[in-house]
Amino acid sequence: MKALFAFIRKEITEQIRSGRLWLLLAVFVFFGIMNPAVAKLTPWLLELLADSLAESGMTVTDVTVSAMDSWVQFFKNAPICLIVFAVVQSGVFTREYASGTLVLSLTKGLARYKVVVAKAAVLFALWTACYFMGFAITYGYNAYFWDNSVAQSLAASVFFWWVFGVWVIALSVLFSTLFQTNTQVLVATGGSAFACYLLGLLPKVKRVVPTLLTDGNALIYGTSDAQAYTVALIVAAVTAVACIFLSLLAFNKKQL
Amino acid sequence: MDMLCISNLYKRFGDKEVLRGLQLHVPQNSIYGFVGKNGAGKTTAMKTVLGLLRADAGEITVNGERVVYGQTETNRYIGYLPDVPAFYPFMTAREYLLFCGALTGMLHAELEGRISELLALVGLDGETHRIKGFSRGMKQRLGIAQALLGKPKLLICDEPTSALDPVGRKEILDILLAAREQTTVLLSTHILSDVERICTDIAFLHEGVIAASGSLAEIRTKYRRNLYRIETEEASQCELLISHLRGMQRVGENQLSFCEEDCSLREVLRFLSEESISVIRLEREEPGLEALFMEVIGK
Repeated sequence: MKALFAFIRKEITEQIRSGRLWLLLAVFVFFGIMNPAVAKLTPWLLELLADSLAESGMTVTDVTVSAMDSWVQFFKNAPICLIVFAVVQSGVFTREYASGTLVLSLTKGLARYKVVVAKAAVLFALWTACYFMGFAITYGYNAYFWDNSVAQSLAASVFFWWVFGVWVIALSVLFSTLFQTNTQVLVATGGSAFACYLLGLLPKVKRVVPTLLTDGNALIYGTSDAQAYTVALIVAAVTAVACIFLSLLAFNKKQL
Repeated sequence: MDMLCISNLYKRFGDKEVLRGLQLHVPQNSIYGFVGKNGAGKTTAMKTVLGLLRADAGEITVNGERVVYGQTETNRYIGYLPDVPAFYPFMTAREYLLFCGALTGMLHAELEGRISELLALVGLDGETHRIKGFSRGMKQRLGIAQALLGKPKLLICDEPTSALDPVGRKEILDILLAAREQTTVLLSTHILSDVERICTDIAFLHEGVIAASGSLAEIRTKYRRNLYRIETEEASQCELLISHLRGMQRVGENQLSFCEEDCSLREVLRFLSEESISVIRLEREEPGLEALFMEVIGK
């Protein structure tokens, strides 16, 4: 356990000193603020554009915004945040393969599975911290300006999106143990998520694929209920666990 | 007991067979020179010992325990210094050694003292900058410190001096010499003067097998050829010797070298006397390790 904690501590120090942690925090804080800001500024922007819109035959009437607009914005921006997270963290393993830094750690007797466990744990923790910080900022502003209670099943919708992020990270951990470069990792992770999205377009499998978890708007508007996401949630959780298990096996056989 | 035993080790990369039944026995507390040309398979053999490469066939034991690919159990006996050690650039030397100590399970109280001792040994005790600013020599010295941290029974050094200047090389060799009291050293190199300077035993790796092994004295005895050097007064006399005697090789304007296996000393002396050649010097040469290596690999 001492070796595992030492490697986790190394990972955290690396996230801090390389600036990756600060970059991600800045991105998630920015979008956390932007969600209510865009909602808040919408009437003012429309008023500003009223004259030019009138010339095009459109009339701007009184626009009222609520917390709902801010949450719609939240679910619109969440994919951007996840993509930034995946890109920034895509080299967590591959950088070590390229530089050879893992070799000395392993020759100290560090068990290989601890490398995967430590890196995956830090990635999950970082995603959780960044995501819920962005959520907390949006929630706080929404509570100040409007009323969050208008959004139905808010906790479930936010939780499901977090699970989707965990699923994507688990995929990227698996591909990091299979491939050598971060481009390969990104292409494989993005490709898998996109393939799931395409599968989700088929009505028969829509409720099964993890990409369903990203449809937070349907929940907050009440057009769908949380139970409709159960199968996708289970599939995402099972495949994420399977990815981590497979990555342990793959990393044990990896030539470094 | 041998600290390291390699039996019948085979390793192939694609259609290139790098190791072809390698046998190596490294006695305890020796400094074992593992000599071979670049690409001879030294690094492959050592990475297999560390469990970082999978052997196609063969068995390796370290301190009597079998090495298994992908597992790191036997690495607790080993300190490893690669030719270009890679560290985490965002750490300081002390932080890196603390990290390594935690990986090996050393107690914090014991670790602090050991790190100070090792940083002093390698001359990095006052260094507070991060590793990203270190020179190649500083990284190599930190590499030795990390390799010695856990007081390993076997220290494996893969060409530790190949990229260093003469001062850096001497520093590293002195540290390895001092380490011998506590550990067995396996030193892979193609710099034969380094081997002559510090090694007690030696193995020549050639085309994936050990072409010769033993103590330096044993190898000298086994492969020594009686080499002579002769210096004449005039260069034309050298031409005369070359044209009449077998195996004469010019090594200077009026200097020749010959091996007794090609042309006996008696024969040379008779010719010198018959032709009244004035000789300034005739002496026997002690072959260097380089000459022995060439002899062993048949060049």
